[in-house]
Amino acid sequence: MADIIIDHVTKRFGTFTAVDDLDIRFSDGDVTCLLGPSGCGKTTLMRMIAGLETPSSGRILFGERDVTQLPPRKRNIGMVFQYPVMYPTLSVAENIAQPLKHDRSLSRGERERRVEEVLDLLDMRKQARAFIDDLDAGSRQKVAVGRSVARQTDIVLFDEPTTNVEVNAKLQLIRTFKAVTQRLKQTIVYVTHDQTEAMTLADRIALMKDGSIVQYDAPRRLYNDPSTEFGGWFLGNPGMNFIAAERRGNQLHATILDSPLDVASDLGGGEIVLGIRPENVLMHSEPGPGSVEGRVTEQTIGIAGRNLARIAVGSAVIKVKADGPAPVAADGTVQLSFPRDRILVFRNGARVTL
Amino acid sequence: MNAESLKRKGYYAVLWLTSLLFFAPVAWIVMSSFKTRNDILAVPPKLIFSPTFDNYLDLLDRNTSFVLQFANSVVLSLSAVVIAVVVSFLAAFCFSRFKPKGTNFLMFILLSIRMLPAPAVILPVYLMYANFGWKDSHIALILFYAMFSIPFSVWILKGFLDGVSVRFDETGLVNGGSWLHVIFRVVLPQLKPGLIAAFIFNMIFVWNEFLFNFIVGGVSTQNIPYALAVGTYSDGGLNWTFIATLTTIYIIPPIVFIYLFQKYLLAGMTFGTVRGEV
Repeated sequence: MADIIIDHVTKRFGTFTAVDDLDIRFSDGDVTCLLGPSGCGKTTLMRMIAGLETPSSGRILFGERDVTQLPPRKRNIGMVFQYPVMYPTLSVAENIAQPLKHDRSLSRGERERRVEEVLDLLDMRKQARAFIDDLDAGSRQKVAVGRSVARQTDIVLFDEPTTNVEVNAKLQLIRTFKAVTQRLKQTIVYVTHDQTEAMTLADRIALMKDGSIVQYDAPRRLYNDPSTEFGGWFLGNPGMNFIAAERRGNQLHATILDSPLDVASDLGGGEIVLGIRPENVLMHSEPGPGSVEGRVTEQTIGIAGRNLARIAVGSAVIKVKADGPAPVAADGTVQLSFPRDRILVFRNGARVTL
Repeated sequence: MNAESLKRKGYYAVLWLTSLLFFAPVAWIVMSSFKTRNDILAVPPKLIFSPTFDNYLDLLDRNTSFVLQFANSVVLSLSAVVIAVVVSFLAAFCFSRFKPKGTNFLMFILLSIRMLPAPAVILPVYLMYANFGWKDSHIALILFYAMFSIPFSVWILKGFLDGVSVRFDETGLVNGGSWLHVIFRVVLPQLKPGLIAAFIFNMIFVWNEFLFNFIVGGVSTQNIPYALAVGTYSDGGLNWTFIATLTTIYIIPPIVFIYLFQKYLLAGMTFGTVRGEV
């Protein structure tokens, strides 16, 4: 069992810096999701952990062991790729057993026991004798997971394993991952650009941008308390609303506020922005305490039957996610209220607490 | 009969005619090997004759070096090509996976070596071999043939290796395989068509090789092309029975080989143009 310690690791490709002086520790037994947009360096970081890339500078440690210069096979890891690569002429069970054959410390009985265990875990006992060519992409990926965990390595890495799987199979696959990760107490690093996946699977999410980790927190905390504007925007569907605010003395004024917001006097200068999640904005037909007026510009039905409305308040456009449709049709007028405890304040892109 | 089937029949007629045209000389040689000397030279040519095996018996009886020549041909080509394919596979793997600086330039140089006419190198090679005392040595000749086969094999195999995704390597590596495991157990099996294509192309080259065998080789390394060239006039005129018999034996191994591996050979010939991604 091992922590993964990334000790000031930088990776450059030519003049491009893919990973920029990262310094972080992924705890033993945790499922950590590396989440971020394309090109943020999450895959490069994972490939360095796997040993497929060597850092330009810095060290990678598994527990006490410095693995920076070790080849992949000496690192005792398992990895599942975006594209499952299998022995097409072998059956599911044989594919899972394949890497075990190279471990001489395992007896034949132990090998068989592990394969059986993994088949149960994946709920694939019926397909054990099936050939890889007969399986769909989702099932192949499950076999790849099985092959990686059967070796019972300290660390298992997942590199966007659901990208090439169609939607229904994807949900099933994520359920399998969840079951597998809960049963096994291995340290797992999971790379994805899909926030739902990250939210479902992770104990902790490392949100990445431009080669750096922006925030490293539990999913709920990351969602509710983003430390940066980027975090608020990237997580959530749709992302957070951002409204420009103006500071006068110790008070913030914005179009969404009917009365100014008090702030500390040492806030400092710079661009101030208020953020609030679309589902935290309340929409009424009649004016209430603290409400401001807005005009409905667009209405759509979003995920899980939630209604999504875009409402113009002064010069700002606010996205609102509610259980029911807006009380008026497009171009009608509604009242919006913004609970004060849900409003986050950002200065120059970074969160400030009031 | 509709137009479609007529077109089809015409198409086959053309194919048959072309094949007959190309195979007529081969058929003549093979038939001649079963004829007597008089039958071969008969005018008009005899299509119907009573076959005889005398020529083959003759070849074994009188021409005492036949067994040596045939064995030499087999040993020289097989060992040279096996060496060439093994070396080329490893070289191509390196070029394809690690892409050392100047890979493209080196690949170009390799291909240009293939364009070098043999007579252009025969003199320096002869001088070198003569001075080293390597003339008439099997090992020296095998090494030379291997050297001559490697460039083209590297070229073919690199094309095939580029078609095998790096994902296979990486999956193998992170799941506990060594490089040796990845090279020989994961990548190699997927390269069968390429290996067989390289094998056959080079086999044909060495099997047909006369010039270097004649000049760099010697009495103990003589092969069938050498025997054909030397034996043609051995009878005080063109020795047709000898030529026909030896040629017939000579073409059997390549035909058998190609027949057995024809599906791979086709894949080998289309390399670079048809390449599937996994």
